[in-house]
Amino acid sequence: MSEYLRQRWRWIGLTMLVALLVHLGTVYAIPRIVMGRVMRPMGPPNTIRFGGRPSAGQRGVARPSPDMLYASCRFDLSKGPLLITASVPHSTYWSVSAFDSATNNFFVRNDRQVTGDSLEVILMRHGQPQTPVTAPEHAIVFAPTRTGVVLFRTVIDDEKNLPALTALLHQDRCKTTTPPR
Amino acid sequence: MKLVFKLAAALLAGTFLGLFLTFITVVRPLTSGGIANGTWRTNLANGNAAADPYTRARVALHGPLALNRSETIYYTATLDSDGERLDGRCIYQVSGHDPDARWWSITAYGPKGHLIRNPASRYSVSKTSIARDANGEFTVRVGGTEAGANWIPLTPGRISLNLRLYNPGPLVSLDPAHATLPAITRVTCP
Repeated sequence: MSEYLRQRWRWIGLTMLVALLVHLGTVYAIPRIVMGRVMRPMGPPNTIRFGGRPSAGQRGVARPSPDMLYASCRFDLSKGPLLITASVPHSTYWSVSAFDSATNNFFVRNDRQVTGDSLEVILMRHGQPQTPVTAPEHAIVFAPTRTGVVLFRTVIDDEKNLPALTALLHQDRCKTTTPPR
Repeated sequence: MKLVFKLAAALLAGTFLGLFLTFITVVRPLTSGGIANGTWRTNLANGNAAADPYTRARVALHGPLALNRSETIYYTATLDSDGERLDGRCIYQVSGHDPDARWWSITAYGPKGHLIRNPASRYSVSKTSIARDANGEFTVRVGGTEAGANWIPLTPGRISLNLRLYNPGPLVSLDPAHATLPAITRVTCP
């Protein structure tokens, strides 16, 4: 057996090296590929999409919460910072969060962290010209990657609150802003 | 010609082996690594930029867009309290007291992480929908026929349960391995 291995060690070594590269490459690539697949159905970048409440008929993102109302905004900061405005329902759990192109959650703000009824978030890259904020409660967030996803979550605490929570979610916006020159 | 054949065989075998390693370390395991609490498991690196590449890849496949631990802790169960794999043909009882969190929910998922289709469109129970007894304890029937508010229907096949804790309290966030969580007991199985 050892003679067999000795004669073929170069080929065994090459096989192992290829295996290692393929393995590490796929582990690295999976989050980025998944994020690409998550973002594709979200429509054009820098536009909010109201996903509503997940059901068994939907076959998009794995493990959605059926007790949540979702809205999403696929962002691309190449044309400038993104202005996110969100209405905050203080009666239930609510959050706005941002994910980079490798699925990392780099920003989250929930309803308890906002004292007013609305939140303004400027999402930008380091080095981009600053966009002035107008809302009393705001956050300036630097995205680690050019593209990613902003997700709005609202817990449906009671079925009778569903119409009001849906209406509030539909007030949320995301759009590219043009900073002053 | 022989050299080309050997090279092609090494590349092919290496690629297959590499994909197999990814399958057994990332694609197949739903709950590997992280912290165990009874039959529940959680990985506190979910959604975190500091997560190792394997955790990041697993989360991306099995539950992308997860919030980080300060906001939400996600527990997943694929086994019952006897260590048997959860099966959609069986009936389970999930019982306990409210976990320490501002809001929580328990949701059943099918083999690919999709919500389980059922005529009642019932997929979960939550802190605000569940019925409790006088001692504040709840019992949820998972599978079988309708059992009031505390019921999650199943269909045959491999299933898993997710326990989401939004704004987890200190009992969970400081010691997720020992926080009091609902127990999953098998009632009947065909």
